[in-house]
Amino acid sequence: MSIFTNILQNSCRKTLLLEPESFHMLCNVANFHRLPKLSSQAPAAEEKVLPEMLMQPQARPKEGRVKSLKEMPGPKTFTNLVEFFWRDGFSRIHEIQQQHTKQYGKIFKSHFGPQFVVSIADKDMVAQVLRAESEAPQRANMESWKEYRDLRGRATGLISAEGQDWLKMRSVLRQKIMKPKDVAVFSSDVNAVVTDLIKRIHSLRSQAADGKTVNNINDLYFKYAMEGVASILYEARLGCLQSEIPQQSLEYIAALHLMFSMFKTTMYAGAIPKWLRIIIPKPWIEFCNSWDGLFKFSQIHVDKKLSEIQAQLDAGEEVEGGLLTHLLVSKEMTVEEIYANMTEMLLAGVDTTSFTLSWSSYLLARHPQVQQAVYDEVVRNLGRYQAPIAEDISQLPLIRGVVKETLRLFPVLPGNGRVMHEDMVVGGYLIPKGTQLALCHYSTSYEDECFPAALEFRPERWVRKDNMDRVDNFGSIPFGYGIRSCIGKRVAELELHLALVQMLQNFRIDVSPHSKPVHAKTHGLLSPAAPINLRFVDRE
Amino acid sequence: MISKQTPLRTLRGQRHTACGFSRAFSSSTGTLRSEDKVTVHFINRDGEKITTEGKIGDSLLDVVVNKNLDIDGFGACEGTLACSTCHLIFDENIFKQLDPVTDEEMDMLDLAYGLTETSRLGCQICLSKSMNGMTVSVPEGVADVRQAADMGLTPS
Ligand code: HEM
Ligand code: FES
Repeated sequence: MSIFTNILQNSCRKTLLLEPESFHMLCNVANFHRLPKLSSQAPAAEEKVLPEMLMQPQARPKEGRVKSLKEMPGPKTFTNLVEFFWRDGFSRIHEIQQQHTKQYGKIFKSHFGPQFVVSIADKDMVAQVLRAESEAPQRANMESWKEYRDLRGRATGLISAEGQDWLKMRSVLRQKIMKPKDVAVFSSDVNAVVTDLIKRIHSLRSQAADGKTVNNINDLYFKYAMEGVASILYEARLGCLQSEIPQQSLEYIAALHLMFSMFKTTMYAGAIPKWLRIIIPKPWIEFCNSWDGLFKFSQIHVDKKLSEIQAQLDAGEEVEGGLLTHLLVSKEMTVEEIYANMTEMLLAGVDTTSFTLSWSSYLLARHPQVQQAVYDEVVRNLGRYQAPIAEDISQLPLIRGVVKETLRLFPVLPGNGRVMHEDMVVGGYLIPKGTQLALCHYSTSYEDECFPAALEFRPERWVRKDNMDRVDNFGSIPFGYGIRSCIGKRVAELELHLALVQMLQNFRIDVSPHSKPVHAKTHGLLSPAAPINLRFVDRE
Repeated sequence: MISKQTPLRTLRGQRHTACGFSRAFSSSTGTLRSEDKVTVHFINRDGEKITTEGKIGDSLLDVVVNKNLDIDGFGACEGTLACSTCHLIFDENIFKQLDPVTDEEMDMLDLAYGLTETSRLGCQICLSKSMNGMTVSVPEGVADVRQAADMGLTPS
C-alpha cells in the first residue's frame, strides 16, 4: 500500500477514464521522482567547515536568470501514457524515476491527466525544499481520505490531517514516540514479540522438507511488524504470531490486505469523480469498507483500554501504562482523534517495517561475508544468548548500517511528495506556490556521487570512523526529514534492530537454493516482486 | 470518566528531555538561586549578540523557548531529533567538554545546514556550570541564502 498514493489522485481522474485498470499506478508516479538543490552557506571565518559538507552554491541559475516552468524539460503527456499503460510502467515507477532523470535532468515536469508534477532528483534540491518547509508541510491532496472521514463522522489522523489540526496532534504524539529515549523503554515489549518471531521461525521451518526453509518470509515479518507496532501503540498483544490467530486480528489483517492489495481500488475511489460513483460504485464502496475495518479494529482496542482504565479508577487504583493509556488519560486529544491516529499509525507501520525486514534478511543471505561480519560484531558485544536492548545498538554500528543500507537500496517509499507553500527558485526554475512536487528518493539513493559503488550492499559505508565523521546523506532519507517526517522512525528502527540481532544470534540466514534473485516492484510501496524464501540454519 | 486529578504515573512513554535528570534535580530545589543559572550568549544569524540566562540542566532549546529568543525556525520538531533546525556552533574548548553525541544526533547533524566541526544540536545540549559565559552561534539560515540568491532574479 502507499499512504502517499493520493499525491496524484486528482491528476489521475482523466486517465482513469481512459484506462481504469492501471490507473492506480499512475498515482504513485508522483511519489517517485526527485528534487532540487540547496544553497551553500558562507561559514564565518573562524569556523572550520568540513569540506565535504559544503554544497555547491546553486539555487542560482548559471545564466543569472530564473527560468519558468514552461522551459522545464519533461516527458510529453502522451509518451508518459504509453510508458505506463502500454509498457506497464507502473510496477517500475522507481526505475522510470531513474530513467527520466537521465533523460530530462534532475528536475523535470510531468502531466498525469490534469495533475501537474515537478519531480526533483537531486539531493541538494531535496534538501533545499525540505529545509524551507512551513510550520505544517503538506504532502499531497488527501481529499478522498477526508471525504470518508466526514462521511462517517471520523477525525483525521497524522497522515490525513493538514494545517493546525495536524500540528496539534503531531505535537502531542511526537513527545511520546519520537525521542530515542522514549522509544528505548519499549525494548522489552518488542523483545517479547521477537521471542515469538523466533519460535515461529522454528515451527515454520520444521514443516519444510529440509527442516530449514521458510517460504515467503514477508508473510511472517508482516505478522511480526503488526504485533510489534501494536504492542507499542495499543499496549496489547494481538496473537498474530500464534499458530491460531484470533478472529479479531484475522479480520483486521483482512481489512489491511484489502486496503493494501486493493489499493488500486482505493485509488479509483479517490480518483473517480463523485458523479461517476452512481455508474461505478464499487471502488468507493470498497474503499469505505476497508477503512471501516481498520477503524473498527482500533476502536475495539482503544475502547478496551478505556474501560480498563475506568475500572482501575473505580477501584481507586493508580493508572499506569504506556502510549495509549497516556493519550486517554491526558486528554490532549479527543477519543475520535485517538481512534484516527491509532488507525493511521497502524496502517503506516506494518508493511513498511515488514518489507524492510524482508529486504535486509534477503540482502544478508545474499552476502554471507557481510552477514558473518555483522554476526561477529553481535557476538563480540552481546554474546550469543543475551537479548539486546535499545541502548546496546550503539555498540553495533553494523546493525544500524544494515538497516540504513537496506533502506538505501530498497527505500519502501521510493518517492515522496510536497506541495509548495510559497514560490521558490529550485534548480534555476521558479516553482509557484501550490505546485505538487515529487521527491525522487530512489534515484538519489543510487547515485554514485552520493554513494560510491551505489549498486553494492555495503553496510559498512554507514559506519563512522569516529564521532567527528560526517556524511552528507540527503541522498538517502528513507524516513523523510523535518517536522513532517515519519513519526514511527524510532519505533521502526527499534523493531528492526532488535529482530535482526536476535535472528542472527539464532540462525545463519541463507537463500533457499532454488530461489531466483528477487527484484523490487512498486506497488504503492517498493515491495519484493516475488516471494523471498530463506533458510534458517542453526548457529552451532 | 477519567478525572483530571487522577494520580497518574506513566511508567513507559513518560516524558524525557535530553536533560531529564538534571532538570528534575533543578526543579526539585524549588526557587532557583543564582548559582543554578548560567549566562549564555547567542550570536544570531544577523550577527546580533543575545545574552541570556538559563537554568542548569535545561537544554539550549529550552533556553531559546523559555526566553522567547527570536531565532527564526529554531527547534521546529521540539527536541524530538527530527529536524536539525536547533543546530548551533560552539567554541572549541566548550565543544570538547560537551556530553558525548548519540548516533541519532549524529544522523541528524549529517542533515544540518552549514555544518562545522564544532556543531551540535541545541536540543541535545544541557546546560552545566562550566558553560557559564559561553558563546554559541546560530548558523546562517537557509532562508537568508535563498533570499540573497533570489535577489534581482525574476522569471523572464
Ligand atoms: C521501515 C519502516 C518505515 C519507513 C521506511 C517509513 C517511512 C515513512 C516516510 C518516508 C514517511 C513520509 C515522511 C515525509 O513525508 O517526510 C512516513 C510518514 C509516516 N509514518 Fe512511517 N515509515 C516506517 C515505519 C512507520 C511506523 C512503524 C509507523 C508507526 C508508528 C509509521 C507511521 C508514520 C506516520 C503516522 C506518518 C505520517 C506522519 C505525518 O504526516 O505527520 N511509520 N513514514
Ligand atoms: S529541535 Fe529538531 S532536532 Fe533539535
